[in-house]
Amino acid sequence: MKFGMLIDLRKCVGCFACTVACKAEHATPTDISYNKVKKYEVGTYPSVKLKHLPMPCMHCDNPSCMEVCPTGATQKQDNGIVTVDANECIGCKACMIACPYESRQFLSEIKPYYEGQERTPFEVYMQKDFQVGTVVKCDGCIDRVREGLEPACVQTCITGARIFGDLDDPNSEISRLIASSGAVPFQRELGTEPSVYYIF
Amino acid sequence: MSNIVENYADLLQEKHLTEDVLTSPYKWEPVDPSAIGEKKVLFGICRHCMQGDCSTLVHIEDGIVTKVEGNDIPPNYGSLCPRGNAAIMGLYNPYRVKTPLMRTNPEKGLDVDPKWKEITWDEALDITANELKKAFEYDPRSIVVNEGWGSKDTLLRPAFVKAFKTPNEVGSHGSLCAVHYGTGLIHGNFPVSLPDLEYCNYHITIGRSLGPNFATAHGSKRLAKALARGMKLVVVDPRCSHEASKGEWVPIRPGSDLAFLLGMAHVMFYEIDKLDWQFLKERTNARYLIRPDGYYARDKETNKPLVWDNTSQKAVPYDTKDIDSPLEGRFMVDGVEMATGYTLIKERFKEYTPEWAEELCTVPASTIRRIANEFVEHAQIGSTIEIDGVTLPFRPVSLNMERNVMSHRYGVYADLVGKLINMMVGAIEVPGACLGSGYRGESVLAPTEDGTMSPGSEAVPVPFKFPPDHIGMQEFFPHAHATPHIVTYAVENPEEFYLDYEIRVWLGVGVNMIRTNAQPERYVEMFKKIPFHADIVYHMDEQAVMADVLLPEHSFLERLRVMPFFPSHQSFDDTVTGLQMIQLRQPVPKLFNTMHVDHILMELAERAGRMYGEGGLLDCINKFDCHIIHDHGMHMREPYLLDLNTKYTYEEIIDRWLKSWKFNDEGKGFKELNEEGAFIKWQPKYTFYHYYHWPGDSTKHEFYFINLKKVGDSLKNNLRKYNIKFPMIDDEDYIFDLYDPVPHWVESSEWNAPEEYDLFAFNWKPPYVSSDVGNVIGNPWMAELYRKDPFEGAACLNPRTAAAKGLKDGDWVRISSRYGSIECPIITSERFHPDGIGISGTYGPGNVGSNPLNTKGPHFNRLIPTSIDTIDPVSASQEIAPKVKVEKIPKPTRS
Repeated sequence: MKFGMLIDLRKCVGCFACTVACKAEHATPTDISYNKVKKYEVGTYPSVKLKHLPMPCMHCDNPSCMEVCPTGATQKQDNGIVTVDANECIGCKACMIACPYESRQFLSEIKPYYEGQERTPFEVYMQKDFQVGTVVKCDGCIDRVREGLEPACVQTCITGARIFGDLDDPNSEISRLIASSGAVPFQRELGTEPSVYYIF
Repeated sequence: MSNIVENYADLLQEKHLTEDVLTSPYKWEPVDPSAIGEKKVLFGICRHCMQGDCSTLVHIEDGIVTKVEGNDIPPNYGSLCPRGNAAIMGLYNPYRVKTPLMRTNPEKGLDVDPKWKEITWDEALDITANELKKAFEYDPRSIVVNEGWGSKDTLLRPAFVKAFKTPNEVGSHGSLCAVHYGTGLIHGNFPVSLPDLEYCNYHITIGRSLGPNFATAHGSKRLAKALARGMKLVVVDPRCSHEASKGEWVPIRPGSDLAFLLGMAHVMFYEIDKLDWQFLKERTNARYLIRPDGYYARDKETNKPLVWDNTSQKAVPYDTKDIDSPLEGRFMVDGVEMATGYTLIKERFKEYTPEWAEELCTVPASTIRRIANEFVEHAQIGSTIEIDGVTLPFRPVSLNMERNVMSHRYGVYADLVGKLINMMVGAIEVPGACLGSGYRGESVLAPTEDGTMSPGSEAVPVPFKFPPDHIGMQEFFPHAHATPHIVTYAVENPEEFYLDYEIRVWLGVGVNMIRTNAQPERYVEMFKKIPFHADIVYHMDEQAVMADVLLPEHSFLERLRVMPFFPSHQSFDDTVTGLQMIQLRQPVPKLFNTMHVDHILMELAERAGRMYGEGGLLDCINKFDCHIIHDHGMHMREPYLLDLNTKYTYEEIIDRWLKSWKFNDEGKGFKELNEEGAFIKWQPKYTFYHYYHWPGDSTKHEFYFINLKKVGDSLKNNLRKYNIKFPMIDDEDYIFDLYDPVPHWVESSEWNAPEEYDLFAFNWKPPYVSSDVGNVIGNPWMAELYRKDPFEGAACLNPRTAAAKGLKDGDWVRISSRYGSIECPIITSERFHPDGIGISGTYGPGNVGSNPLNTKGPHFNRLIPTSIDTIDPVSASQEIAPKVKVEKIPKPTRS
């Protein structure tokens, strides 16, 4: 089994629901996001479009971040998800440099959501496992996935632009859609063999 | 001047609170020890946009709310927008008002510390109820109940207003969004009319969102499905928005939409010969003969409107069988020449060629022609569709207009021209076409004796009365949606508005007029004149800081809510057509010393003596009829009517309401709703299409807008009768030119602005903010997004426009209309029309004690005019494309 994701950019409307669902799911501290959405324009007036490119961790089969990790904190799980063990991470940032997708961030401090205020009970309760001085990233909602749920970003998508499933099963919805749509990973030429595919 | 300090001096002896205490998360109510170790999931309904109907699940662990996610039931089927996902931060917001407060400083202002004093709930309720009681005894009209989007989460507010017998319900939301008249007149419905995206193949949207522009979950989902099956989307907008990027973007000069629509209608009248003639003849009044005075010619015996019969060469009643009745022509009747309504409109539109329109709106004439032709071609005129065994006309096209079209002096005309275009291809109330939202049932299109359906909702005029009762002059604006801007003038100068009473009590319910309306300083000055002002509030916002007493309400996650489903604001498809539903929000444990808004209203009614007996709150609940979905919603009926002298709990009232629900055939109540989370019923889909109830020629829509004329003439006659002038208006033609039964080009207040005002400013709602319901601008998860978005908090300019002005990205500018100014950096983008300057959202202005996020960013609404000589006199809509000038200024040193 290898979990992967298909993002249909024809459907993405750049609403950032995925970004916020991810923040809520993981209680990522202020300015930490595992699910960035890049916004850009193509063309010139009046032939112009607003485009969006959601960028979760690509959970590569050949993860360059894992290769450079000196402690083994970064691991590729049996289900294909790439994880970071905060207890093993020494915060050397080598993985941040190695990752071509800018999927990783260094947690230098945990700032309260409401600037200048105390942390809310939500933060106090939900942010216990964060360790300042480590590198953090999308964990593919591995806890949800193990319960048979979709990642939070997939469930919340308001246009159904994200499909999650087993890339090893040729009959899964995601495999069939990738085959029929010609979906490809972002910058496949980098050779990291991402598990996230896009319909451009 | 507030009377609070004088009247309640005995309560003001103890020390008052400092600002620091108010804005810190003090006194979190501790988690119930029994909740430790417990995990549970509650049924929820979102309330972070005006629609406020996404079904959610709310997860609680150890007494902490840990997750809010979409529930996989209608209407959002598991998805949730960014704001909905951020609901937890709305709950744990340290800037909430956490306990009842009373001001001790009589001086009022956004930057003036009210020197709040903490009071008990008993004190706060008694003070407010006492003022309500005194005002009620003086004159019920002296009470204003002022509602905003927050108040849409109450069940009891409409009945509360009735119980206090005041006409003065003042809606804050909506004066910049008066989009309802055309839908009321043509569809008999409210609030708006929508495309049927299950079948529509060609959709033109102007000045509105199908969902993506402000990330409404279920609207966006429906649009994505329609696009995936190949629907063509044409977006006419000065900005290439999220959804314009999914279809064809037609850039248009801001504030010129009426010209585009008139140009399109001209092409259909004069250049296309395959309109839906059958629809126009059978289902509209287009062939009715019109007298020279603009009214129907009528049969002397039956009084029925006349049409011309080619066979007998005479005028006959419209419903005469077996006649050959032309749509177009002029005919002599009793020696007087009369034209059909169709003829009058067509002749008036002759000058509105696409070339004429291009001069005004900049859309190339060839594009206007192409779109008009494509619209007609895609309409499949003459085709039918079978839905569950029922055959209905099929017109898979829809043209829809909304806020940025209607919010101009000519807004109602633009709306009506759009309706003409839809009617010319028969795309009204049939599958695939333009459908009214709101009540979907048999009565809506029922014909009158004239053969045409009755106007509904806001197309039904408020009766004239002199002197006027309504503080917002609804008698002078009989089709207005909301008139808070007029209230500011009436309070300032009651004599000019013929008022024979004064406002004594202002009760705000989930409302912030200062931020959400134009010219905030006008509202600030008005509030200084209100003798007693209490607000039911969520957080310390601009209106709250002007109040005398604050009655803090729960945040929406803490608020029990039972809600009937309202057909939505964006579109329809099979995920909602035929849906009847009651949704439930189970409350999470409350964090502060707050109350449920409906509990507050019940307490105020009880303490002011307006709860029991005939005309009291209970009686008004029994008689409550939802203005949107009527008896499809909360509608009390036997044997569940409330006894007028019994004290009920809120839950008992809800239980009776549920058991009275029209679609509840199993006697289910509040207990069962808590078990099931929602009551969901589906009606046959074909019944959703109003043509089904009134097929063929059994009813008609107005093509010639006779009801608009009638109301205008009636208003003019009343001015004569009472020998009065229209308030603030010297030339009354400025008003009555907008009551013509034949729409025509009208310039907005901005077209003749001095030359130095060379750009049209315009505004939209970004996904992070929408209508700022629940103060999502102050939500740190949203702030994390909008702070990083270069198009937020900035003015957007086409690069060539910027270059011509010597401006580049990051330069700071002062943007000034003739009504106000704002300052912000600019960003250039190819996605903007060269004649416009776009500023998103409703950032700022902020106040003492507010969330700092609410003080940042340009407050677009400062640029908008409010005076009567700038608004649409029919809908009272304000002008939201003000002309501005732009000057470069030094970058401010503050953040």
